[in-house]
Amino acid sequence: MRVPLSWLREYVEVDLPLQSLVERLTISTAMVQRVLHRGVVDTNGNLGLYRVGHVVEAGKHPNADRLQLCLVDVGEAEHRQIVCGAWNFGAGATVAVALPGAVLPGGQRLERAKLRGETSDGMILSERELELGPDDGGILVLAEAAAPGTPLGEVLPLGDEVIELETTPNRPDLLSVYGVAREVATLLDRELAPPPGQDPEPAGTGPVDVRVEDLQACPRYLGRTFEGVRVGPSPPWLTARLLGAGMRPISNVVDVTNYVMLALGSPLHAFDRTKLAGGCIVVRRAVGGEEIATLDGALRRLDARDLVIADAERAVGIAGLMGGLETEVGSETTEVLLEAASFEPIGILRTSERLGLRSEASNRWEKGVDPLAAGQAARLATELLARLAGARWAGHVDVLGDLPGRPVVRFRPPRADELIGLETPPDEQRRLLERLGFDVQDDWQVTVPTWRARDVAREVDLVEEVARLRLDEVPYTLPARRAMFGRLTTEQELRRTCEDVLVGCGFFEAYTPSLVGTDERSDALRLPEPQSAEQAVLRTRILPALAEAARHNLAVGNTQIALFELARVYLPSGEQLPEERWHLAGITEGGFARAKGAVEALHSALQLAARFERAERAPFHPGKTAAFGAGIVGELAPGVLDGAWGGFELDLATLLAGVPERIEYEDVITYPALRQDLAFVVDEAVAAGDLVEAARQAGGPDVRRLRVFDVYRGEQIPVGRKSVALALELQSPERTLSDDDAARVRSTIEVALRERFGAELRA
Amino acid sequence: MDAEALETEAQSAIASATTPGELDAARVRYLGRGSALKQALRGVRDREAGQVLNTVRSRLERALAERRTALDRSVLERSLAEERLDISLPGHEFRRGRLHPITQIRREVEEIFLGMGYEVVDGREVETVHYIFDQLNMGPGHVTRSPLHTFYLDDGVLLRTETSASQIRVMETRKPPVYMVSLGRVYRRDTPEPKRYPSFHQVEGLAVDRGITLADLKGTLQLLLRRLFGDQRAVRIRTSFFPFTEPSVEADVECFICGGAGCRVCEQEGWIEVGGAGLVDENVLRNVGYDPEEVSGFAFGWGLERIFMLRHGLPDIRLLWQNDLRLLEQF
Repeated sequence: MRVPLSWLREYVEVDLPLQSLVERLTISTAMVQRVLHRGVVDTNGNLGLYRVGHVVEAGKHPNADRLQLCLVDVGEAEHRQIVCGAWNFGAGATVAVALPGAVLPGGQRLERAKLRGETSDGMILSERELELGPDDGGILVLAEAAAPGTPLGEVLPLGDEVIELETTPNRPDLLSVYGVAREVATLLDRELAPPPGQDPEPAGTGPVDVRVEDLQACPRYLGRTFEGVRVGPSPPWLTARLLGAGMRPISNVVDVTNYVMLALGSPLHAFDRTKLAGGCIVVRRAVGGEEIATLDGALRRLDARDLVIADAERAVGIAGLMGGLETEVGSETTEVLLEAASFEPIGILRTSERLGLRSEASNRWEKGVDPLAAGQAARLATELLARLAGARWAGHVDVLGDLPGRPVVRFRPPRADELIGLETPPDEQRRLLERLGFDVQDDWQVTVPTWRARDVAREVDLVEEVARLRLDEVPYTLPARRAMFGRLTTEQELRRTCEDVLVGCGFFEAYTPSLVGTDERSDALRLPEPQSAEQAVLRTRILPALAEAARHNLAVGNTQIALFELARVYLPSGEQLPEERWHLAGITEGGFARAKGAVEALHSALQLAARFERAERAPFHPGKTAAFGAGIVGELAPGVLDGAWGGFELDLATLLAGVPERIEYEDVITYPALRQDLAFVVDEAVAAGDLVEAARQAGGPDVRRLRVFDVYRGEQIPVGRKSVALALELQSPERTLSDDDAARVRSTIEVALRERFGAELRA
Repeated sequence: MDAEALETEAQSAIASATTPGELDAARVRYLGRGSALKQALRGVRDREAGQVLNTVRSRLERALAERRTALDRSVLERSLAEERLDISLPGHEFRRGRLHPITQIRREVEEIFLGMGYEVVDGREVETVHYIFDQLNMGPGHVTRSPLHTFYLDDGVLLRTETSASQIRVMETRKPPVYMVSLGRVYRRDTPEPKRYPSFHQVEGLAVDRGITLADLKGTLQLLLRRLFGDQRAVRIRTSFFPFTEPSVEADVECFICGGAGCRVCEQEGWIEVGGAGLVDENVLRNVGYDPEEVSGFAFGWGLERIFMLRHGLPDIRLLWQNDLRLLEQF
């Protein structure tokens, strides 16, 4: 909502700096997005350079056919010579003049200039140049009453500050200048002027034929007829206000309806009465397939859910949204039917959504217009139509259904203090509420004003009123707690551990979308109406998206690429909601060993033993893939990405299930360990892991550590066999092991491996 | 033999040895098995002569040891003087990855609230209309209920549009007090553009207890904003509207680029809008079986991407989903 300051001042005194007003409104009422300026700026005496001028002489420029050369009296001893491009005036006209040095609304400074050899000592202004209207057909001719040299600001609204408010949907009352004035009056504790608009004497009491078929959707329809209407341009004060508020002036009749909507928040519509079939209004539901050409020129197809304003034959307007083209008020219009109504918000919202049509009116209706505002709006419009368009008010009807009542709320001032955390004396709370239009009884029964009835219905809603008005004074405190206990759950801590381990291994964390184009599970959950085919399915695996991210990194030339992600997957459960599980997946340049190393690092960090078994699964290489308890690790099959890549994906809960709650101390300090290296020659087909497992079992409890440290093929090793070197560490918590003990273990292992794998111990 | 002359000669040989080899040669010559001194000692007959020779021997041995130490030290000193590394060369690379920027913010926020005794709650991402809208007092006309804004799986199930549903699930199973934050992914039907992405991350905070006030909310938000944006930052709390809170507020932080003077980042406002908050609406409390006369609470829900982008000057949210190492390495 744009509120021109001069308009606001008509309803409330504003005697503090604009910036302070902006701050007060922002804290307590609605955010001021910005302060705009319309028209001529009032700095450095700029306004003094705008004067009323009398054209003393005017004639063709000697060197240019399309220019006029004028002598203009601006109240100085000498007349000024001014060159002008417009011809809609001549000698004797009263005009608006800017003198050299003046800063124009667009920001440029006017200089004395020579035009085709003639000096131009100023500028005769048009409405557009003053930001008073769109009309650029010629210069602005003023009423003759003003004496030459009169400051132009005394005759025209030259410039204005405009406050732009970002209002919340619960406050449609702020979509009017008067509603904002009410807030300002409360915030600054100033008098609020009575609402504008007084009925002139009616020129007749003719009947107005209005029939409302749906009093639920339209609980009120106030129709007034006018005769002798002279459609023409609006005066500058009105166009200035409309432009300041962001609306385009059209004609006096249309401008009046818009002006009243902006002033009081109740949208109006004016029909050319002579174009209404039967001269009547019927408020009804549209007939399926009914069409109407709206004022914006579009042809719109309606259905039975849409409320229309119709005449005897057809729809002439979509209720609350936009009038029809055929009954539009035009320059030839002499009779007007004015509509002031009350529409139910939800129906307007639905129709607006269905048609994709929004207007200043619908924006107000869909949030809920004060149902009582229609009467005041009609009064103000009637007053203005009479004044500005010479209209005679000839008829009146007010069709009323059940208007929503005013809620009555029991209010306890101490309750407000309790919730706000700041004491406000009851008398002060009463005063604040009353300033906002609430009626407060002695027993604290509070009646809500009609313009807030949709928003305020409970005690806590009144608490909010007090709270927002004092918001800036509310102190900053923290909850006073008797007990405090804040910690991550074990699972949350372990998730962080997993992330940190992978970061330590050189992996970068990636975030990829949960919605994917395809998933390997055909029963993965699918959005019935996806935004795009690429984001249609809730994924059950993360790795494919990581491969995508790796591809991006390759494409931009990044190196040493390693990515991981810890995120949800969504598994079909057969229930209403899918099963959400955390998956941890990684991808890295460098093949199987790097991916497996990362998986091993995770296990080691979590105090878990990992067992790997050969497995086959896409997108991995069938010969280079292993399953482990919680997931799968492998080298990506050739063609997935350029180069050798390793990847893994695991189910986090499965992984974490084995994490020991506590670690029991094992004596590894008291007695020394014996270390021996053993190399066995076995067939290629024998897996090193099986060798280790068998050796560990054969070696018995004193085998503290056993790992592969080398695999050798070549000289001294027969073709088709390999030498696997094991590092053996023997240690007992009970005694120092002797060389004999070591020899015994070693020989047991040797025998076992020979029997099982045909392994030969190398010397 | 003349023990004195022998010692003089030996001492001089020891003193003049300049390398370990020379010193060793001196040792063999004067104290070795075939040396005059050893032979003389072997031939000693009387105690007195033996004492003299032994004294000479031990003096020579001490001299040898001292000279050896001195030589070793000079060798060391020479090598220390000669061996120079180019210390400007890089060290061995231990390549570390990085947490995603949003995880970093997430942990930061979690730590702030863990420090104040809050729990961290993991909510569901696929939720029911009941938990996302109904229980949160969002009326049938509320705009985010529209399929134009929200991803539905069917009439009753959708991808969560905010993390608030986790509040409801916690309160339903728990008596007050409740102090929790819930952080995670949310989904809205937005076309990807610099400030919007169809999924993003939120932090939801909730405190319900006896006597929770709007002042407590202001204090908590101020603390959070100052931790995130700097301890000296001014914080502004202004009125707003949300269906699930009453009263509702919006929190702004003083622009950390211009310090409030007005610049491009804050659009000349001097303030940067961070997110919404308020006292938990009575209806929401009643929905979970709490008595609003007994307990009150506050809640807030902010976007983590927004916080990160504001704080680090990241112009485009889509960059956070590209997973480009060049960006990830920066933070």
